[in-house]
Amino acid sequence: MQASRARLFKEYKEVQREKVADPDIQLVCDDSNIFKWTALIKGPSETPFEGGVFQLAFSVPEQYPLQPPQVRFLTKIFHPNVHFKTGEICLDILKNAWSPAWTLQSVCRAIIALMAHPEPDSPLNCDSGNLLRSGDVRGYQSMAKMYTRLAAMPKKG
Amino acid sequence: MEFQSTAPMEEKTSSSSSDDTNPCPICLGPIIQPSYLDKCFHKFCYNCIVQWTKVVSGKHSCTLSSIKCPLCKTESSSIIHGLDGHYFQRHYVDRDFQDSFILSKAHKYRLQCYYTEPGFLDDIFNVKRYWKLRKYLQANQWLEVWLKRELQALIQEKDVDIIMHHLLGLINSFCSRNEPRYQTETPELKRERFSRRILDAAKPFLSARADRFVLELELFLVSGLNIEAYDSVYLQRLGWNEPVMPSVAIKEDLGLKPVIPYLYIFEYDPDDGD
Repeated sequence: MQASRARLFKEYKEVQREKVADPDIQLVCDDSNIFKWTALIKGPSETPFEGGVFQLAFSVPEQYPLQPPQVRFLTKIFHPNVHFKTGEICLDILKNAWSPAWTLQSVCRAIIALMAHPEPDSPLNCDSGNLLRSGDVRGYQSMAKMYTRLAAMPKKG
Repeated sequence: MEFQSTAPMEEKTSSSSSDDTNPCPICLGPIIQPSYLDKCFHKFCYNCIVQWTKVVSGKHSCTLSSIKCPLCKTESSSIIHGLDGHYFQRHYVDRDFQDSFILSKAHKYRLQCYYTEPGFLDDIFNVKRYWKLRKYLQANQWLEVWLKRELQALIQEKDVDIIMHHLLGLINSFCSRNEPRYQTETPELKRERFSRRILDAAKPFLSARADRFVLELELFLVSGLNIEAYDSVYLQRLGWNEPVMPSVAIKEDLGLKPVIPYLYIFEYDPDDGD
């Protein structure tokens, strides 16, 4: 408990220092609970998520960093490895391949990388995975783009 | 000219390697009790990497023999820690951390002796006289306890009984037996034969330290002293006899060890050729 607090506090200070270095990620700690964080990440360019801003919710366990944080998308996203309803993310480093050397910031970077490089063979969103697996890249991209517009971009008017 | 161009490079690397502002990758704090994985030599706090090893092995039903480095995923089989320029300690991943053997002060002092120049006690303990006067015929009753501590320090394991009894058997049979065919042997030859035999027996367990071990063993036998007296002579000569090493501590470490007879061990002795 004490160790996870100390480490999260270190990460908090690091985030304040690195704010300018990585403009694609904005990590914010809950005002009253250091175990709850939210992040705003920019959709990577040259993907259907470009131009969108996606919100992530972090729930950090007390055993952190020996246990990975739980992360889910709060913003709706059409992606093979993200559950369409719950926002759950299928990413190895958040499960078996977790290493305590990861930080919340680097987890965000891994999620951005996952957005750019989906893994259709381990899908949480079967519709999205099947489009990619059947080779319908265009279909996948237009669906993903539509949901990015609907959910991840500021509404006009 | 070439020297001038390499000098600043060297300076740069040395300053970056001594840079201790690198935090522990696990707690992100300053490194407490620096520890290294044995393959990639990435550095962590001792507690952090031990905790992580426990978490990883807790996920597997069978005991792991190696652990992936949190930074580079290289598989390492042990954690190296307690490095102080003279000696270090090692935790193997496949062993329970509670059961692992922690070196006592007396063990550490013995281990440090292996980094000194041999022969600095030769004027106190007369090795030649020992062989000439056949003093080896008198058994040294403290040899067993001394051997045990020595092996524990060198192998860094608690249970060294098998190796100890193996060596003890060799030494005792060599010293007590006065075979007719060696009756005419000169003391020098006898000494050489002794060294060779012990070296052969110790090498598989002590590898590079076996040679020095033979010298240390001989020295202890020659001294004819008990462990306390031997230690105080040794420490005095080394200049380490500060009050941190009271004889009480040594007694505590060594005096209470039970003696378990392991005689059947010698039935299964591959080295017992003659």
